[in-house]
Amino acid sequence: MKMTASEHLTATFAALADPTRRAILARLSSGDAAVTELAAPFAMSLPAVSKHLKVLERAGLIARSREAQWRPCQLDAGPLKDVADWIEHYRRFWTESLDRLDDYLHELKANEKKRGRQ
Amino acid sequence: MAASNPQPAKGPAFSPQGELVLTRTFDARRELVFKVWTDPQHVAQWWGPTGFTTTVQEMDVRPGGKWRYSMRGPDGKDYPFNGEYVEVVAPERLVFVGTIHEVHDHKVWTEILFADNEGKTKITVRQLYSFESDATRGAPIGWSMQLDRLAKYLVAF
Repeated sequence: MKMTASEHLTATFAALADPTRRAILARLSSGDAAVTELAAPFAMSLPAVSKHLKVLERAGLIARSREAQWRPCQLDAGPLKDVADWIEHYRRFWTESLDRLDDYLHELKANEKKRGRQ
Repeated sequence: MAASNPQPAKGPAFSPQGELVLTRTFDARRELVFKVWTDPQHVAQWWGPTGFTTTVQEMDVRPGGKWRYSMRGPDGKDYPFNGEYVEVVAPERLVFVGTIHEVHDHKVWTEILFADNEGKTKITVRQLYSFESDATRGAPIGWSMQLDRLAKYLVAF
């Protein structure tokens, strides 16, 4: 199933909304790990952890090796970058709007002065 | 002076998953700056990034009042941006919650604080973002901190 960009973003946010999944990503940011290793800090069964990994995998946040027997998990930062880009998009919106507001206020003040002189 | 340092009173009904804070000082009186934010004729003159033209279709500036903007981009496409005012405290605070239609269920909570600084006006824009769905509802607040950390981590790539 092919997802649109906004569906991808929604899937990424949905995957990131869970604290356990964020902790898993944080662990993977320091290196690949096997499922048993990822499960260790949580009071959780292996199937429960596997469920979280499936959500992360569907969102494209992690990749799992198909070959190695212990199937290590690897972080994929691509979707995280999309989230950061989204925030960046808003930063640009405001920076440019506020620039325009600044120009507009200067214009208003200049007009006020002109009218005051008449 | 309390009036010079306005504080937001309430928070969004959703759990924010991203946050942006920006400040800017304008060489203009606070009353004027507040006015250009709340008068539709003024808003149309500056709202939106470079190259965008904003048409204000509806703007009822009071708590619970609605606003509807249409932003035409340099690509000729119209980007609707609708929402509702939550707080309107002249000339110090404006809070509104908007909906973006590009992304499903995407909500943006915006607080604009206007602080008087010896005849100049310092404004603080704080935005909180949510991508609520059944899957994300109930995500803990403080997520923006996590996002910051992830963003820092991404710089290493």
